[in-house]
Amino acid sequence: MMRLLFLGSTAAFWLAVVFFAMAPVPTVSEPAAKKSFTLAEVARHAKATDCWMAIDGQVYDFSRYLPKHPAEPSVIEVWCGKEASEAYRTKTKGRPHSAYASELMSGYRIGQLSATP
Amino acid sequence: MKHGAPLLVVILAGAALLAARPWPAEVWQAAASLSAWLGSALLVASLMLMIREPRLSSALGGLDTMYRWHHRCGTWGYMLVLLHPLALAAQAGLLSSQMAARTLSPFAQPWPVGLGWLSLLLMMAGLAVTFSPRVGYRRWRTVHLSLAAAVLAGLLHGLLLRSGSLALMLFLLLAVLAIAFRLIAADHGALAYPYRVTQASHPADGLIEATLEPLASELRIAPGQFVLVAFGNGPGFQGCEEFHPFTVSNLNERGVLTVTIKALGACTSHVQRLQAGTHVRVQGPFGNFLPSGETRAQLWIAGGIGITPFIARLRVSPPTVPISLIYLYRHLSDAAFAQELMLLKTSIPTLELVQVETGDTAPELDTLLARVSDLDRRDVRVCGPAPLVAGLRREFKRRNLPLQQIHFESFDFR
Repeated sequence: MMRLLFLGSTAAFWLAVVFFAMAPVPTVSEPAAKKSFTLAEVARHAKATDCWMAIDGQVYDFSRYLPKHPAEPSVIEVWCGKEASEAYRTKTKGRPHSAYASELMSGYRIGQLSATP
Repeated sequence: MKHGAPLLVVILAGAALLAARPWPAEVWQAAASLSAWLGSALLVASLMLMIREPRLSSALGGLDTMYRWHHRCGTWGYMLVLLHPLALAAQAGLLSSQMAARTLSPFAQPWPVGLGWLSLLLMMAGLAVTFSPRVGYRRWRTVHLSLAAAVLAGLLHGLLLRSGSLALMLFLLLAVLAIAFRLIAADHGALAYPYRVTQASHPADGLIEATLEPLASELRIAPGQFVLVAFGNGPGFQGCEEFHPFTVSNLNERGVLTVTIKALGACTSHVQRLQAGTHVRVQGPFGNFLPSGETRAQLWIAGGIGITPFIARLRVSPPTVPISLIYLYRHLSDAAFAQELMLLKTSIPTLELVQVETGDTAPELDTLLARVSDLDRRDVRVCGPAPLVAGLRREFKRRNLPLQQIHFESFDFR
């Protein structure tokens, strides 16, 4: 019985891995990169349910992501509507986010931070 | 404690569920988090259930129950851990299929994620060998040990990604202690009692009966229990020093005990050449197969070497309730204690003895059970090969007799 469970689950696992690996790659289109927002516009989205942040010259809409963030909500919510590059780089404890986090974050990018205020 | 092992599993799984709070709201993220936590809890439980220590084993329902739950926890834990990366990929797949694929690539992630993959692949390879019936005991044992390393790597992966998690630190500590105890105390025999072989005889073909005398303090053993014995060196004999389980077939008030060993593998075949004076190490006792103070009539069924717990009980403290003993063996030449049982029958008036030479065919259990009076009012205790136990369970089911009536103990500790 246990042997069958092992064989079945292992086969299903590798099938799922192949499925994810062979999924079609979407055509890259980056309309978001062409949009640009001022810091004042970012500041208008300073709630947990409507949360934008500016990080390293890019603007992100984290409204959908906030409930998924592993840390306590209060840690990230205070940065809604603000320039949060330093907080992102140090996690306010001197430790950087992982490469995976950077990659995950790119999915929430909505545009660039305008050079003019 | 009958339900000790499942209770341990429930406690660890409960702790994991609490540690996973707050549970993520997104379905796939919740699946990823809970599968990792529950999988870790079951794998730690699996490690704790492989500890061979008499008091712990008694609290957890006996070694047989512990090993059954060890297998369940190991397999279920592995399946849950498999779900973890898939659920993370599914979560990332909500953003893009490219992200999902990159989530599953250990080379696109920080090294603690790679450690998680290493753990998973080690577990996969280790379990593949573990479940292979063709692998010999020694190779199986070495590969099985790699599974412990896989669990440690998996827990470390979690701890590196969730630094400061007290629950994960506790899981890692429990896992390290369980592995250390198993390796140092049980496999290496640090807590074993020293004994010496005083007599060795051959009651049947391919069988040796060794009498062991304690060299220091003695173990307190009851008839029907078994011990783990490692044979060392002696006059003209070099032991394999591996601990194997043997049922005690006789014992006396001075702590001298006798074990009967059938040549089944490389080590037990070598032990057939054992000489008096050989030093041995003994751990135990384990099991509670034949508890004293029976109130119901007994049906004892022995297959081959499975006669040992019954002969021990009849030699040391025969029950006062009626006993029907069915002893099945292939050929009279390999039937241990056949003569002695006939003698015991004359001195124990409550004993009814049925000895059956089966040859190379499976016994007709239906016919055998038909010879037993008041079958539904007897406690049934079976010691023999797995097919015999399975056949009897089927026969009891067919006769609408409760399966709780059958008690058996297997000695397959793989």
